[in-house]
Amino acid sequence: MSAHESHDDGAVHTHVSSIPFYVAVFAALLTLTGLTVGQSYVDLGRLNLAAVVVIASLKATLVVLFFMHIRHDAKFNGLMVLACIGFIGIFFAYTFNDVGHRGEFDKDENVSINPRSGEIAPGSMKK
Amino acid sequence: MSTEAAAAEGHETPGHDGHGHDDHGHHGPKWLQHHFDTPAQQFETAKLGMWVFLVQEILFFSGLFVAYGVFRNWYPEMFVAASHQLNKEMGATNTVVLLFSSFTAALAVRSSQLGKRAETGRYIVVTILCACMFLVIKYFEYTHKFHAGLLPGDLFHPNAEHLKHGSEPLPENAHIFFSLYFVMTGIHGLHVVIGIGIFIWIYIRNWRGDFSKEYFTPVDLAALYWHLVDLVWIYLFPLMYLI
Repeated sequence: MSAHESHDDGAVHTHVSSIPFYVAVFAALLTLTGLTVGQSYVDLGRLNLAAVVVIASLKATLVVLFFMHIRHDAKFNGLMVLACIGFIGIFFAYTFNDVGHRGEFDKDENVSINPRSGEIAPGSMKK
Repeated sequence: MSTEAAAAEGHETPGHDGHGHDDHGHHGPKWLQHHFDTPAQQFETAKLGMWVFLVQEILFFSGLFVAYGVFRNWYPEMFVAASHQLNKEMGATNTVVLLFSSFTAALAVRSSQLGKRAETGRYIVVTILCACMFLVIKYFEYTHKFHAGLLPGDLFHPNAEHLKHGSEPLPENAHIFFSLYFVMTGIHGLHVVIGIGIFIWIYIRNWRGDFSKEYFTPVDLAALYWHLVDLVWIYLFPLMYLI
C-alpha cells in the first residue's frame, strides 16, 4: 500500500525507529502518567474528568502513532482508527442524549420502587 | 490487475522465484502463503486484518466505558467515595509496569525487523515478566477487595475494618462502581493472560528460527495486541483510581 509504493520488489519494507526514539516515547508516557497522578491531588471541579481524558488521550496517541507504527503504516489502517474513534463518539452521544432526556417522557424513570405497585422497579439498582 | 500480472510472471518477485534456485521447490520462501503474490502483500494483508480485530476490540471495550460514563453521570459522589477505596499506588505501579512492557514489546518488534533473533527473544521475555508482574499486583488488589467485601452487585458487603482509615462512608449503591471495576479490570486482566500465552508462543517460534528480517509479521501482530492491552489500561487507570 501507500508506504510501499516506492518499492516494487515485493519485499516487506518497514520504517525502523531508533532505540533512543522509543526511549523518548516511553519517557513521555511516564511523564504524562506522573502528570495525571499529580493532577488527582488537585481538585479542578468539573474539569477533573476533562483533564483525565485529555492526558489519557495524549498517552494513547503516542502509543498508537509510534509503538503501534500507525505513523509509518499504510494510511488505511490509520483511517480505521479514526473511524473507530468517530463511532465511539456516536456511541457516547446517542446514549447520553437518550439517558439524559428519558425523565422528560417517563417520570418514573430511574426510580427504585415502582410508585404504582410498591414493588422494586425492574432494572433498578436496588438490592 | 496489471501489477498482479507483472508479479505473477516477474522473476524479481521473491514470492515467485522458484526458477531453479530455490531450495523449497516450487514457491519461494515457505512462510509465503500461496495465495499471496509478494511478501509485502502478505504483510499488508495481515496488518489490515489485525487492525480490523483491534478496532473491534476498542469498540467492544467502549461499551463498558459508555456504561461507566452513564453511571458516573448519575452518581458522581458515589464514584468519588468508592474510588477512594482503590489503591492509587498499586494502580500507578501497574501503569508503569504495563507501559514498560509496551516499550519492550516495541523493541522486540524493532529487533525482529532487523533480524536480531537473540535480542528479540530477550525483549519478549522482559515483556512476559512485566505482564506476570501486572497480574501479581492485580491479585493483591483483588484479594484486598474480597476481604473488604467490595464486590459487585449482591455480593457487596463492605467490611468496615478492611476499608481505608478515615475514608468517607460508602453509599448503598457503591456496588455499581465495584461491578464496573471488576468487569472492566477483569476483562482487561483476561486480555493480559491471553497476551502472555501469545508471547510464549511467539518466543518459541522466534527461538525455533521462524522469523527473519524478511518475515517478522507474527512478532509485529503480537506486539500490536499487547499495545492494545496497554491502551485500554491507559484509560482504565485514571478513570477508576484517580477520581
